[in-house]
Amino acid sequence: MISLSDVPFRTPLATFGPMVFIGLLLVTAPWWLPAIGLYQYLGTEIAIWLIFALGFNLLFGYAGLHSFGHGAYLGIGAYAFGLWQQNVMVGLWSGLAAAILAAGIAGAIVGALISHRRGIYYALMTIAFGQVFWFSAMKLHSITGGEDGLLGIPRPALELGFASVDMRSNVALFYLAAVFLIVALVVLRRLVNSPFGRVLQAIRQNEMRARFAGYEVWHFKWAAFVISAMFAGLAGGLFSMAQQSAYPDVMSLHQSGLIVMMVLVGGGLVSFWGPIFGVLLYFVARDVLGGLTETWLLWYGLMFMGMVMLRPEGVAGMLHLLVRRVSGERSGAELAAEKVS
Amino acid sequence: MTYLLPHILNGLTLGLLFALIALGFTLIVGVMEVINLAHGSLFALGAYFALTVIGGGWFAGTEFGAWWLGLPIEHRYILALVVAPVLSAGAGMLLELCLRPTHGKAPLYGLLLTFGAALVIEEIIRLGWGTGEQNLQVPTAINGPVLIGGFIYSKYKFFAAAFSAAAIVAVWLFLERTPYGAIIKAGAHDSEMVRALGYDLSKLRLFVFGFGASLAGLAGIVMVPIWGLRPHVGIDVVIPAFLIIVIGGIGSFWGAVVAALMVGLAVGITGAYAGAWATMSMYILLILVVGLRSRGLFGRKSALEN
Amino acid sequence: MSLFEAHNIQKRFGSRVVLENISLSFEEGQVSGIMGPNGAGKTTCFHVLTGQHQPDRGEIVFDGRSITGLPPQRIATKGISRSFQIMNLFDDSVVIENVMLALPEFRERRRSFLAPVFGDAALVDAAMQVLEQVGLAAKAWEKATSLSYGDRRALEIGVALAARPRILFLDEPTSGLGSDAIRNLARLVKRMRQTVTIVMIEHDMRFLFELADRISVIHWGQVIAEGTPQELQANPWIRRSSLGELADA
Repeated sequence: MISLSDVPFRTPLATFGPMVFIGLLLVTAPWWLPAIGLYQYLGTEIAIWLIFALGFNLLFGYAGLHSFGHGAYLGIGAYAFGLWQQNVMVGLWSGLAAAILAAGIAGAIVGALISHRRGIYYALMTIAFGQVFWFSAMKLHSITGGEDGLLGIPRPALELGFASVDMRSNVALFYLAAVFLIVALVVLRRLVNSPFGRVLQAIRQNEMRARFAGYEVWHFKWAAFVISAMFAGLAGGLFSMAQQSAYPDVMSLHQSGLIVMMVLVGGGLVSFWGPIFGVLLYFVARDVLGGLTETWLLWYGLMFMGMVMLRPEGVAGMLHLLVRRVSGERSGAELAAEKVS
Repeated sequence: MTYLLPHILNGLTLGLLFALIALGFTLIVGVMEVINLAHGSLFALGAYFALTVIGGGWFAGTEFGAWWLGLPIEHRYILALVVAPVLSAGAGMLLELCLRPTHGKAPLYGLLLTFGAALVIEEIIRLGWGTGEQNLQVPTAINGPVLIGGFIYSKYKFFAAAFSAAAIVAVWLFLERTPYGAIIKAGAHDSEMVRALGYDLSKLRLFVFGFGASLAGLAGIVMVPIWGLRPHVGIDVVIPAFLIIVIGGIGSFWGAVVAALMVGLAVGITGAYAGAWATMSMYILLILVVGLRSRGLFGRKSALEN
Repeated sequence: MSLFEAHNIQKRFGSRVVLENISLSFEEGQVSGIMGPNGAGKTTCFHVLTGQHQPDRGEIVFDGRSITGLPPQRIATKGISRSFQIMNLFDDSVVIENVMLALPEFRERRRSFLAPVFGDAALVDAAMQVLEQVGLAAKAWEKATSLSYGDRRALEIGVALAARPRILFLDEPTSGLGSDAIRNLARLVKRMRQTVTIVMIEHDMRFLFELADRISVIHWGQVIAEGTPQELQANPWIRRSSLGELADA
């Protein structure tokens, strides 16, 4: 079975192939999305959640630190962006910077309190913090608008020095999100294969040995949390720009649970590309299945449970096995032996 | 200080209910070595099952339903207190069966599964009973205000406290005075040993999960008039349960009861000063207890320490 | 002054005193052994010497400086390395990465965010050199879990060696190995001792007596005898005890 810690392929096709493919899909999206009966805003939503999910998997999959309260940082990013537009100045770059910074600071504080742990203590602490943030967003009416949310967030124009791009059209916003997605993909890909990233993965596999090899484990775990929170903040800022509003519900345990489910189902535990499959599958479930039945979330949840029980390697892992079987490289018995433990 | 009295009493009532929840939780953790993130959903299910029993559920529009609703509320309530926990137990046992493929694997998978189950159960509740706030009818004998020493208290809270205390005593009697209880206690300490002694571990696990779920469900029914009834009412249950076993120790009966009272009191007293933020005190307490301790649970080795 | 010294170490767990008053010293360039029956405290002693446990009393001095109370990650950067009896590898990673992670030049770059690791020829070469020393060069790109037990033992030592320590602590390195593998291990130790000071806990008396310059015997939480293998074999206490029978073998 493939693993996140496999040696990265060094053939040019394997390195650039997926990226180029994704890039092409993104660039041409305004044409094929409507062609298959979908709408432009969906593309933006997917791009935003991809940024969130990929950043989240740095913590969840690569570092092996299971945060069940990560929606809080998306929410903080969303509120920060909105509040910045409403109380400081209308500006895209500054707003997004505020979103990333706010989420990063929150992540730094929470991370500082949990990074000496892992496992179940860690997970429940993230739930507790998530709930505190959610509750605060609900109750601090004067700041966040409470349950009614922060409304009327503008979409500031993209100032490029030489030009100004209006962001009010969904297509323009999509391209902005797409660019950020590409950047996120490249940055994260390099990160996980850098010395920092490899140490993080070593810590996932064996904290004690990493310590004895001279690494200050706490620092790495903390850094992973902050980085993933910052990606969440970026996604949140883009989200509030897209929706032109910010609500507490993204910070709820329900939403935080969704990102966990997406990442696992997609195969984030075994593959860098796992979160991408996961997000896409979720949106297919939400929009396609959801169009057919009201109970789509129930089926998605049951599917998640089934995958945890039987196929924790997720879609990415299953695809890997399929490709191996089809190319005849392995016998059935050998494939069966490739279980994720 | 006397103005704190109602809050202290609230806190104690809450604490007794928490104890009931935590007892089920700690037995499951002890025997199965899995943190049941769906414990709150089982709690909620108990309340919703009771709602159906009392209200006649799917029979509501029928002749049988009409007769059913004609019965005195006391009868229906008592029946709910008996039937609903049993139904919760069934759900719990189903969950235990789902957990079996995750045995022996990293604890992450059990956690993910119970987490998924929590969301699935919440969704089932949403679809089955609607998303709005609901009310549970309770017998008039235990409802309403009572005047004691110049303070107005809720009769129901006294009932809740007394009922919980009685249930806790019943659990204690079961664990201490029956052979089944002895096996469960042993299993909570060392499940491998119990298997070595020849007991069927899978039956034990099934039973313990069902038992724990029934306690959660029972607490759910009693808690409704205090906490309200919405599909996500169970979310605020797992964190105090976890906090209680962190403070009181896994598998420890009195540890759970004492810690539960402490947590309940903390919430009750916070309510005196901070009103709506009272429930947040449980979360903040967990953050303080776990965040500022460099060591884990005192005492025995547990699956929690990864 | 010895390279590594422990003075009056006491360690208790709860009310149980596991280490009474242990004082040890290891000379640079030597192979030192620690032996003793099970439960005697030698494993705990090892843990204390390598920073896994903090002593309740006593001092640990390395190269003239006190390292008492330092956590393992700080001790590792000072030139002290250890292997583990129950194998402690990075199972999801390939063999060469296991070793690479322990290289000092890798550790120096640990904060580097964007430079790819496997494309760095210098790192790969340095890691391969370590693997050649422990005989695993041919399996460099296999996953650590797929190795045989003997190879995992070799990797275990390789990871500790990769840190280019001044002193290397080996925790029961022959554990579970067959006689061929043990012979290979003995050869490896003889090669390593030319560049590294070695301290070993061992049960295999023959192995220890063949390789060690000095051996300390720990029993009942104390050092009850110390000396060269010859001196210990002549020691009447040792001869009379169960240790003596094994020493004769």
